[in-house]
Amino acid sequence: MSSPLSPRAALVFAALALLPLTPWMSKYYLLLAFDALLFGAVAMSLDLLIGYTGLVSFGHAAFFGLGAYSAAVLLERGVTSLWLSLALSLVVVGLYALLVSYFATTRRGIYFALLTLIFAEVVYTVFRYTQAFGGSDGIQGLPAPSVLPGVLVDTPARNYYLVGRVLAAIRENEDRARFLGYDVQRYKMGVCMISAVLTGLAGALYPGRAAYATPDLLHWSISGEFLIMVMIGGLGTLVGPIIGGAFFIVLQEKVSSYVQWYSIIVGLVLVFIVLFVPKGLLGFRSALRLHGLRGGSP
Amino acid sequence: MSRNGVLLQVEGVSKSFGALAALTDVSLTVSAGEVVSVIGPNGAGKSTLFNVITGLHGATRGRVLFDGQVITGRAPEAVNRLGLAKTFQITNVFPGISVYENVRVAAQSRAPEAGRFTSLWRRPDVEGAVMELLVAFGLEGRRDETAQNLSHGEQRYLEICLALATKPTLLLLDEPTAGMTPGETRDATALIRRMALARGLTLLLIEHDMSVVMGISDRVAVLHFGQKIAEGPPEAIRTNPQVIDAYLGGVDD
Repeated sequence: MSSPLSPRAALVFAALALLPLTPWMSKYYLLLAFDALLFGAVAMSLDLLIGYTGLVSFGHAAFFGLGAYSAAVLLERGVTSLWLSLALSLVVVGLYALLVSYFATTRRGIYFALLTLIFAEVVYTVFRYTQAFGGSDGIQGLPAPSVLPGVLVDTPARNYYLVGRVLAAIRENEDRARFLGYDVQRYKMGVCMISAVLTGLAGALYPGRAAYATPDLLHWSISGEFLIMVMIGGLGTLVGPIIGGAFFIVLQEKVSSYVQWYSIIVGLVLVFIVLFVPKGLLGFRSALRLHGLRGGSP
Repeated sequence: MSRNGVLLQVEGVSKSFGALAALTDVSLTVSAGEVVSVIGPNGAGKSTLFNVITGLHGATRGRVLFDGQVITGRAPEAVNRLGLAKTFQITNVFPGISVYENVRVAAQSRAPEAGRFTSLWRRPDVEGAVMELLVAFGLEGRRDETAQNLSHGEQRYLEICLALATKPTLLLLDEPTAGMTPGETRDATALIRRMALARGLTLLLIEHDMSVVMGISDRVAVLHFGQKIAEGPPEAIRTNPQVIDAYLGGVDD
């Protein structure tokens, strides 16, 4: 059992907490840093599903968007408590994720991906055409939430020892895991729920920063971007996708501030990464350490 | 479970895949502590019988009882949890993780924490059980090797380790010595026999190698075209004219 907060993680959090205080930190860069971290967190939750369990979700935008809409609905009514936003999105995303993961985990491979996509498209359509949620405009002009002080709980991946190994086993050989007595679907559902809820919580933070929640957040192309972030960072490395998410956000922001056709450049960079760094920015370094699963080491 | 009591009962099991009758009215009883072999030419229905017993397939007719409980139609993980483990004819391990982690994940499925929320922060202590198995099968020196890098013989042993790590009372071995050299086969047979005795295991095995079958079995059942055509002690099977006609006559290994 490890300490609740490793020294390295503590250092990272301290650096992040001091970030707004640095003199060269303009509002623009602060927001960029926020986005980079937010989408990095989403990419990490998605990696739990893809890299660890081998389940490719093409519907994570729905979890993110539902979290964002939950927070937006509260902010629209003047409820600015961030904790209430998080709590509501936890419930909403949790219920939706229960439904999706129950049906999607009964299927494998491409069918799992398609089921998550279909569910997400239904959610997109509902929000796109429901006037109570602002239709295609979404919910605009939201106040900033009040941030109450809270506790930060660090949960290093190595604590999830048993579950982590079982997930790796499911990814490696699902059928054999069943013959060893593991109820594979239950584990898959569990990890699907965890990934979805973490993504939803990240989504709940979004309206506070952007002052809106629009159906675009639920669009399948957002799910695609999440997948790209994971790929850039390195499948199955957990930390890699944080870097992948940050890299993607900064790249997109920087390129789009110079040219209109930024997607072409972003696309080229991604093709380059897939071709020449297929294991991602962190993958080639961490693949051994995390995937080798050296016995006995913590 | 009572000693020398009946552990596994296969009662009139038939299994069809469409128009193909893979098994027809097969019955078989295995008592605790016994070593029973199922033999038969390719396509006789041996693997299908194992798949029905372990829950991969349902039975078209008939039922299977394990330790007095009906297990036909139950999922493989549920059957395994009752104490019935299986090894696969084609090596079926977790290729990308280490030998140690392979056995560990198998052993963990029996830890009290398995499948519970406490497993999120507690590590079950299975180190001892895992190492004991690795030592017994001579794999302790390879513990940190990725499973796919093992030799064929080592992978066959790892396969058995995985099944044993779930602490079964009945072990089904589907051609455990498939692809082994005669020397390896002899060692493996002796090792399996020793492990079964030491752990009080009951064994049901499918085997092609007659030297293995004759050396290890208390009883042999012969399948031919999905039907059981003979059953008895190895010597009786060896001289049974029906068996010789169906099986031994054609193949002389």
